[in-house]
Amino acid sequence: MVSEEEFQRLCEFLYRRTGMVFTEAKRYYVERRVVERMKATAAGSFVDYFARLRSDAGGEIEHFVNAFTVNETYFYREEHQLRCLTGDLLAERLRGKPPGEAIRIWSVPCSTGEEPYSIALWLLENWPLVDQYEIEILGSDIDTAVLERARAGVFGKRALLRLPPHVVAKYFAAAGPDAWKILDDLRESVQFSRVNIVECAQTRQYGRFDVIFCRNVLIYFDDASRRVAAENLYENLSPGGYICLGHTESMSRITPLFDVRRFADAIVYQRPAGGVGG
Amino acid sequence: MPLIRKPSTATSTPSSPPAADAASALFLLENGTDDERWAAARVVSQMTGGVAALAKALVGERDRRVREAILTSLARAATPESVQALLPLVRSDDAQLRTGALDALRATKDALRPYLPSLLRDGDVDVRLLACELARNLPAQEASHMLCELLDHETEPNVCGAAVEVLAEVGGPEALPSLARCADRFHGTPFLDFSIKVTADRIRLESTRSRE
Repeated sequence: MVSEEEFQRLCEFLYRRTGMVFTEAKRYYVERRVVERMKATAAGSFVDYFARLRSDAGGEIEHFVNAFTVNETYFYREEHQLRCLTGDLLAERLRGKPPGEAIRIWSVPCSTGEEPYSIALWLLENWPLVDQYEIEILGSDIDTAVLERARAGVFGKRALLRLPPHVVAKYFAAAGPDAWKILDDLRESVQFSRVNIVECAQTRQYGRFDVIFCRNVLIYFDDASRRVAAENLYENLSPGGYICLGHTESMSRITPLFDVRRFADAIVYQRPAGGVGG
Repeated sequence: MPLIRKPSTATSTPSSPPAADAASALFLLENGTDDERWAAARVVSQMTGGVAALAKALVGERDRRVREAILTSLARAATPESVQALLPLVRSDDAQLRTGALDALRATKDALRPYLPSLLRDGDVDVRLLACELARNLPAQEASHMLCELLDHETEPNVCGAAVEVLAEVGGPEALPSLARCADRFHGTPFLDFSIKVTADRIRLESTRSRE
């Protein structure tokens, strides 16, 4: 359906706009999304669709990006990192934090909200100091469609499978045959925003965080974009702040800016409190 | 149920606000504090004269964090000028700088391609060895072609070993004759004998499977 040359042009376009890289090995995956968007826009051919995309007619670039991002996730995914958060990271962050200063946690990309809500749930259920501190949780994603779903806070059974039943009963209300809505109080505890982590002009406006969860997104970037994203995240961490990546990812392979910290439950990366180590 | 917190009005400021304009950024890259040089290094590559300024700054930069930002910006620029700024550093005696330059060059992708053949023929053994690794990122056939050419002329077994390691990943049946000739030339060099045998066996196996 898409010729070799067209595929290359499309990939270059996707790279320029998002930093995501798709090689020939992902061709089927790319083509499926293109077909979806061609149907949705009633484009008669790839050439027609690509022209629409490049001119951003009807906000097509955003729809296109949304179709390419992977949004499958669930509550308490990689729970060991949440254990690490309350077992080690927060205690370290609180040392030396001025009284009254909020704890800031960023989930990026947050997809449909399972991760930032998981952080909120986990803190409420597992961190005895939760009532003593101002805690700000921000979820961000490049995909505006998933952000809308995150804000709505309605989830299917599959997303909730890892949650203990008493947690579901305490924080969710049935909202349909296979739908549970997170309670409004909790929903309002998490803020959401759109951000492209390769664009430092966008990431800078969010200031510094104590802990950033950035899982399973850097793998989609090429080397140069990965380095840029890592430097952006470095800027968004307070000195001594932590970043948690997906279990298959390694910051050490991207940049030497961070220190590796091994805790009982997880390996995480830390922005050095002083300069970058030797 | 607590935890409700609206967006912070006291959101801490970014660590390094960008310079207001190109002239300021270029000035700060040379004369600023560590934080200012870091911030400038992250933005000047998109400005006129930025890559040249980054290249100049890289030579004298001693702060590792700022150096990383410069390397990233040169990698992202991915122009002949940025590649030329990075290439001399693969000969550096500073291992961190050498590794950093290599990583940045790898990230320049297509911009590096025209320089690889000469790197693979460089008079410095270490440069040829590192160049083999850089070839890994090329399209498989192109990398295989370049590395086979190297194998046919290379006199240093360690360089051949590096090339063979990359060929194990990217090589196809077209690499088998060069591998065989290399094995003949270095017969009796145990690590290379072994490495070539493993690579050739893997290529033959894959080739057989793809015909089935």
